[in-house]
Amino acid sequence: MSDSYTPQVVDHLVRPRNAGEITDPSGRGESGDAACGDVAHFTVSISGNVVDEIRYKVYGCVACIAAGSALSELVDGKHVLEAASVSKADIEDALGGPLPAGKEHALTLVLDALHKAFEDHWNRAAGEMLLDDTGERKTGGRSVVAAMSGGVDSAVTALLLKEAGYDVATVTFRLHDGERGSRSCCSPDTVLFARDTAHRMGLPHFTLNLKELFDRRVMRDFVGSYKEGRTPNPCVACNAHVKFHASAFLADELGYHHVATGHYARVEEGPTLARPMDESKDQTYVLWPVPPDLLARTIFPLGEYRKTEVRTIAEERGLAVAYTPESQDICFIPDGNYRGFVRKKVKAEPGDVVDRDGQVLGRHAGVVDFTVGQRRGIGVSASAPLYVTEVRPRSGQVVVGRKQDLEVTEVGVKDLNWFLDAGEAASVQVRYNSRPVPCTVEATADGGWVAHLDEPVVGVAPGQSAVFYTADGRRVVGGGVVARGGREGGIFSRTQL
Amino acid sequence: MTDPVYLDNAATTPLDPRVLESMLAHFEGARGNPSSLHALGASARDALEWARASAASLVGAAPEEIVFTSGGTESDALAVLGLARQALPERRHAVVSGVEHAAVREDARRLQKEGFEVSWIGVDSDGLIDPDEFTAALRPDTALAAAIWANNEVGTVEPVLELAEACAERDIPFHADAVQAGGRVPIDVCGTPVSTLALSGHKLYGPQGIGALYVRNGVWPEPIVCGGGQEKGLRSGTQNVAGIVGFGTAARLAREEMGERVAHEKALRDRILAGVERIPDVHLNGHRGRRLSNNVHLTVSGVEAESVVLFLDTLGYAIGSGSACSSGGHKASPVLIAMGRSERDAFSSVRITVGKDNTAEEVDGFLGAFSTAVAQLRELSPLYAG
Repeated sequence: MSDSYTPQVVDHLVRPRNAGEITDPSGRGESGDAACGDVAHFTVSISGNVVDEIRYKVYGCVACIAAGSALSELVDGKHVLEAASVSKADIEDALGGPLPAGKEHALTLVLDALHKAFEDHWNRAAGEMLLDDTGERKTGGRSVVAAMSGGVDSAVTALLLKEAGYDVATVTFRLHDGERGSRSCCSPDTVLFARDTAHRMGLPHFTLNLKELFDRRVMRDFVGSYKEGRTPNPCVACNAHVKFHASAFLADELGYHHVATGHYARVEEGPTLARPMDESKDQTYVLWPVPPDLLARTIFPLGEYRKTEVRTIAEERGLAVAYTPESQDICFIPDGNYRGFVRKKVKAEPGDVVDRDGQVLGRHAGVVDFTVGQRRGIGVSASAPLYVTEVRPRSGQVVVGRKQDLEVTEVGVKDLNWFLDAGEAASVQVRYNSRPVPCTVEATADGGWVAHLDEPVVGVAPGQSAVFYTADGRRVVGGGVVARGGREGGIFSRTQL
Repeated sequence: MTDPVYLDNAATTPLDPRVLESMLAHFEGARGNPSSLHALGASARDALEWARASAASLVGAAPEEIVFTSGGTESDALAVLGLARQALPERRHAVVSGVEHAAVREDARRLQKEGFEVSWIGVDSDGLIDPDEFTAALRPDTALAAAIWANNEVGTVEPVLELAEACAERDIPFHADAVQAGGRVPIDVCGTPVSTLALSGHKLYGPQGIGALYVRNGVWPEPIVCGGGQEKGLRSGTQNVAGIVGFGTAARLAREEMGERVAHEKALRDRILAGVERIPDVHLNGHRGRRLSNNVHLTVSGVEAESVVLFLDTLGYAIGSGSACSSGGHKASPVLIAMGRSERDAFSSVRITVGKDNTAEEVDGFLGAFSTAVAQLRELSPLYAG
């Protein structure tokens, strides 16, 4: 570590390479801001996945100018996969050694600006296609796009694939504005961390901006569900519409065959979704909506590992992610205050708290505050604990009852995604972190299904997932969304039948 | 490679060969400790006292009012910390301008940590302290007030006389940081009732590592460095005799040559100013009239200071930058922020300071290089539309 700049740095200052701006670029990216004192700006023209032309501009200290110039030289004329692998260390090498102490942020800044230009390129190419297309079905090859969140599971996923001989390209999605560091150019940032991790493994890293898609398909549904008295599962919505589709899009753009995530699950012949080796981390309950043709090209390497092994692998390979905490339940509500989040988005209308016979027991501030099975915050005193048994958004009523009133033996399911024949369904899981209950299924006239449960379960809420498993309990037959019953807000409760 | 053209005289000045010559005698041959009784000691003592008298005469002081230190920063510390700490216990308030050099600013922050309340006095857009505002902040419990005589960054010369008089009327010790002003602005402590006043050798074509603090007779700051009781007990430690002699010579030359130096610097300064102001979106910071003779401080829109400085360095011109870029963002100059400038302006500011040895040819060469550097960096800048 030196306090002064190398001759190479000074040379880039005086003779910057690729300075300027492309008038009609295929991607444009900027990082930093004037208040921080540094701004880097890249424009790229990419065709056939090759960086045909690159131009950069920098306002900032000498380190930023030189790093931008050196980076532009490193990626000019390269395939995007090679360009996206260029790391901070590569830039330093090109600059003749480490930057002076305190100047390392220049490397992060210019790399981020370039990667935002790549991101812009992909996002422009994606357009509306990203929303619905499940991509070309390619299997058999040994190339994979691995989604990286910045956590340990997805990092080890990419690493295992690389070590298994796959060509791996990593991708991190920008999903919402609540991400760590996404508001400031100088603070730790999830994307920057993921990029660093990928580069340390020698892998190319890309980003895709999915904020609009995520907002439309996940966050609005989350808020809207509470408004309609349903209990949403945003992870399911993301897997149904966002994460796998976006990975497949990038794979198609790169000519890659597979997509991979750090989920704990297995893909078996069919394709069928099956439980992972580490059943304590089983995520099949949230993976049921992945369309079969997407699942067919999906790899879940962690399906063969225990979580403890995954951490050990990360530690052994020196990945900084080995020590990252377990991720949040809902990524866009980091403080866990779901109600606070929903309340900010929708106006709560006060209404009555009623019992099952319609007798008014009290008032509440809004149906968005309640979900079926909830015990706390009802605000009505009674001799026995009261539970929300039903939320009726149209009349604004919250129905409460005793615990046994929550028991159901039949569950309506809609929007099904079947991997196997429905007849193979032998049990159904209707809540996260609960055991499947033996059942038989029956198609209804309106295209939905009804699960007849062998034993009553409590706390089944409309909007949650119902996932069917085979008789051996290992494989997912299919899944769907718990529907309302015939009467407003009702599922098929035993007492109603 | 030829020596670069040096236009960063506010950072440090070249050593005057006459100063060097006077110092060499004290590095060569036998030497004594000025505190020793023998002849060699007495000889060193004589040299010291000659230098003290010379330094005193630069500011119109009596020799015994001069305390030698390791530099401007130590002089400021002895004054600011020393005066505040020796004040009566009920005096726990200080008045300090918002455009101080880091030395005084950080001393004042230290005082805050020690429990003093500090009133920071703002400036106008030219960096000028309002004497009325400064005076209004003085209180019966004020232990100390301090202001910079001439600003080290933007070159504005402050109304120190009025500030010092306001303090004197209220018996409040007043410290002036005259590190940049010394040798450029006439200073007479008989007419200006400062309690203490800081000077530095290497801003006066003297050596680095030597400074002086004028301490008015009857004023006793609490010492920072304790020990053998040298320098009236205000700054213990065997004196840096060669450095002090260098300071003495530099002070003598500064006093004798001040008029011609200032005239020379002003001509070069105004030549630079006229040249750079022809470039679009280049703005002078600091007061146009009440300004150090050698200072041109500019905001160059759209480019960052360090890149300008190092670009010019490659072209053979050494100038100064106002800010330091480091991990996690720049630190914008508090002086420019106090003047109401944006952080972005602060990051785009450079300082050109001429000296007695610069020439008109050098200045003309600089103007060409400056315009080249600015044009090329603006070409590269996403923040300059031109």
